[in-house]
Amino acid sequence: MPRPEKISRHGSHDIEIQWDDGRQIVYPARALRLACPCAMCQDEMTGERIITDNALPILTYPTKIEPVGRYAIQIHWSDSHSTGIYTWEKLDALATEIGKSLPE
Amino acid sequence: MLTRDQALDALKTIVDPALESDIFSLGLIRNLEVADGHVSGELLIHRSAEASAELASKAQDALKAAGAEAAELSITTVASDGPAVDDKGGIPGVKNIIPIASGKGGVGKSTVTANLAVALQQTGARVGILDADVYGPSIPRILGATEPPTQGGRGMIPVNVHGLPMISTGFFIRKDQAVVWRGPMLAKMVDQLINQVEWGELDYLLLDLPPGTGDVQLTLCQRVALAGAVIVTTPQPVAVDIAEKAIIMFNQLKTPVVGVVENMSYYESRTTGERELIFGSGGAEILSRQWNVPVLGKIPLATTVRETADSGRPIVLEDPEAPASKAFHDAAARLIGEIQVRNAGAEKPVEINF
Repeated sequence: MPRPEKISRHGSHDIEIQWDDGRQIVYPARALRLACPCAMCQDEMTGERIITDNALPILTYPTKIEPVGRYAIQIHWSDSHSTGIYTWEKLDALATEIGKSLPE
Repeated sequence: MLTRDQALDALKTIVDPALESDIFSLGLIRNLEVADGHVSGELLIHRSAEASAELASKAQDALKAAGAEAAELSITTVASDGPAVDDKGGIPGVKNIIPIASGKGGVGKSTVTANLAVALQQTGARVGILDADVYGPSIPRILGATEPPTQGGRGMIPVNVHGLPMISTGFFIRKDQAVVWRGPMLAKMVDQLINQVEWGELDYLLLDLPPGTGDVQLTLCQRVALAGAVIVTTPQPVAVDIAEKAIIMFNQLKTPVVGVVENMSYYESRTTGERELIFGSGGAEILSRQWNVPVLGKIPLATTVRETADSGRPIVLEDPEAPASKAFHDAAARLIGEIQVRNAGAEKPVEINF
């Protein structure tokens, strides 16, 4: 399982993750917010999305990122949402779903 | 000229007889430098100072016999830094946070925690205990703590019992009350125990967890980067099955499991010396094979272990020569090495600049 080495800002709002397997992925802020895995944004049993695109302000961006133990990060968002725990597995899957690879 | 590989080969001939493993494989060698036939490095104490001095002297002889012109192994009691040592993902001043978990209740987790702590401390390491078993805090009784902790300038000052700083959730709940709490309250308690206690400088902080894979365990794994978990089981399948759940939880939370302690491993009659396998056998080995984790030790079921725990002086203190004490010393010795190995190979904490 790859794990992030460095998490930093890309442009003004997006998140860039440097993975230990060499990938550098940019996660667009709004798409990452929409992918929030918490129980308020996603049905815990079915996985169905609860949060909708038009319920979210156009400009939604992270205000703070904190480590969670050794396995995840917690992102505080500009819409005051912060309950999502993004595990390395989740971020790895999101790399292909919403991420953009930067050339090495 | 002596090469690094030759130096390692020489070190691998120095064996801890009780652990049947050599000082290099046990992870006790640090900062090894080999240059121009000169070898220097550190040997981490894993038993008594005398035992380590003897191993170091044997190792130096072996290095010289292998062709080293000079060999100098200094002895250190200071553990290496765990995955987080600051207030970002760690507890300031605490190098290694080690949860002791079991899955199943009643396997002797607290007794193992207390005795391991004393055994670690007897090597010269600085050790503390956080009794986070909110439902059944038993560390105060096992260590014979009578006074509650006091309030310091920046937080609570742990109680000092037998030289071990200790905080227990039991101190904050009256004897005639039980903890009947929902998740958020448990999380808050864990937060306070992590953030509002003045531990001082510690090599190892052992966390006695409640049984299960619930709120307390999850909150702990989220708040701090743990060095590695110890799983306690008995040999019987019903305990092993549930210990597995604890291992799976730690795997999910990316906390390495550094080893399994098999408690109540066998009963040895005080009169005849005959061994009886009351709870069966092979539990620790099953976990070890299945999950690729070492067996740290097997602790016999003995009346004296129970009596000493109930009276407030763990057996490792009360009777260091008892078979159970020897088993605890061996387990602590192996634990020191396993933590060192994990720290040496551990991934760096993720760097966040946002």
